[in-house]
Amino acid sequence: MNAQTNSAAIELTSSAALSDRISLKPLLNKLSGALQASAYTLGGFGILLVLWYLLSKLTAGALPGPVATLTVLWEMLKDPFYDYGPNDKGIALQLISSLGKVFIGFALGSVVAIPIGILMGANSFCNKLFYPIVQILKPVSPLAWFPIGLAVFQNAGTATIFIIFITSLWSTLINTAFGVGSIPKDHKNVAKAFGFSTWRYITKILIPYSLPHIITGLRLSISVAWLVIVAGEMLSGGLGIGFFVWDSWNALSLEKVIAAILIIGIVGLLLDRFFAVLEKKFTYAS
Amino acid sequence: MYLEINNLEISFATPKGKFVAVRNVDLQVKKGEIVSIIGHSGCGKSTIMNAVAGMLTPTKGTVTINGVPVKGPGPDRGIVFQNYSLLPWLTVYQNIFQAVDAAVKNKTREEKKEIVEKYIKMVNLSAHREKLPQQISGGMKQRVAIARAFAINPDMLLMDEPFGALDALTKGDMQLELLKLWNLDNRSKTIILVTHDIEEAIFLSDRIVVMTDGPAATIREIEELHLPRPRNKKAIISMPEYKLIRERLLSLLMDKVEVDEADFYKGVPVEA
Repeated sequence: MNAQTNSAAIELTSSAALSDRISLKPLLNKLSGALQASAYTLGGFGILLVLWYLLSKLTAGALPGPVATLTVLWEMLKDPFYDYGPNDKGIALQLISSLGKVFIGFALGSVVAIPIGILMGANSFCNKLFYPIVQILKPVSPLAWFPIGLAVFQNAGTATIFIIFITSLWSTLINTAFGVGSIPKDHKNVAKAFGFSTWRYITKILIPYSLPHIITGLRLSISVAWLVIVAGEMLSGGLGIGFFVWDSWNALSLEKVIAAILIIGIVGLLLDRFFAVLEKKFTYAS
Repeated sequence: MYLEINNLEISFATPKGKFVAVRNVDLQVKKGEIVSIIGHSGCGKSTIMNAVAGMLTPTKGTVTINGVPVKGPGPDRGIVFQNYSLLPWLTVYQNIFQAVDAAVKNKTREEKKEIVEKYIKMVNLSAHREKLPQQISGGMKQRVAIARAFAINPDMLLMDEPFGALDALTKGDMQLELLKLWNLDNRSKTIILVTHDIEEAIFLSDRIVVMTDGPAATIREIEELHLPRPRNKKAIISMPEYKLIRERLLSLLMDKVEVDEADFYKGVPVEA
């Protein structure tokens, strides 16, 4: 009796150990994969730092080196919220100002672009009507709209939001139209066969199906919006990361310019990652 | 007559010109009848079914239900699509509920929920009700599709190879389940079933429509079955009528495949 329970216990522990090993393996694989990826990333940045260092040596300090730049960056990050009057504010305040303009312009653009995109995708008449307009306006640099924004709004800040609004339209519009236009016949047949109302069709088929496409559009739009805000603020002045870059150049502090470039890059990356995660979350295998 | 198909022709415009899928199709179906359409791939079985469903418009001829021409799909006809056609972002429960909610009128939300529960139980998917289609097997997906079609309580069920993707055991269960549902409803639902499975057609049907090969397919022959109901698979297999019909269907569907018996043995080494 005792021996039996013993052997059963041994069996239990050994099978537990086995399942432990089995469940650990993918975790280990994932970990080593992550380590490998970060090793590559670090290696790449290492090469960049070396090249940067050499370039700054070659130009005899006209281009500030990594050490000088990172020191300035550290100074900037140490006190990000200082506010010494209109032309001298901390980096976080500049960033918040830029992000605020981007989000307002982007939100307004999306609110306009998504419904029009849905119309264009669902209705070939609307598509034929609007597509040529989109094609002509899409390649125009959003900065070209800046004077129009100034003329209409009489305010540089609002004009900057206006160009972000214009920027945010095109990719979202085109991707939404594509997504809605490519809804499979099978899904439409389900709606027909069971007598879905238009509202039910929109909420249960059209939007869920095109959501990944819409998010891809939003992702492209916000990337471009983040590109454009820097240039836009150089034109508009006032407050913001673009203005900060221009202002640092005027103050002949290239260290600050390069530090700002790093920050702009990281923020852009984070924005992109955010939408990439959303995209994945709303994609369904059929 | 409940369903009448008169001189139906359906053709499609293709880059190579007009493609006639089916022509000269005449078929009358009584209320409560189970009719199978059987034939080789590409013989227009699904085309006829889609015309009845209202998914396709006849090029010529008419399809009428209770004397009213079919103008489009409607909740009086429940469709089980060949490829399940579940919505991948909705759970099993929601796939059925949305169909019921859209198609069933004059019922409260609570009553609709009860209907959905009943049919989920009927196809044995209670344990999987909160799963997405991508998380369940092909057979389960097909059961969801069947439950969805039944749940809207249609007068007519249109099933396009409904059990094609199921394993033999599940298939047998589902066929019985189908007959049981039909029985429970006083045999008042008309069922049209596209299949390429001879045994399935015999087990389920009152009549079997045999198609010629496409393109421009038409009805070749209609077999009447007089096997007693309720049917039992084991019992009917030994009935003379079963054998007779099976032979007849086999010869109708296989007569093209006449093989010279000598061909079978070509290349086979002759043992000394």
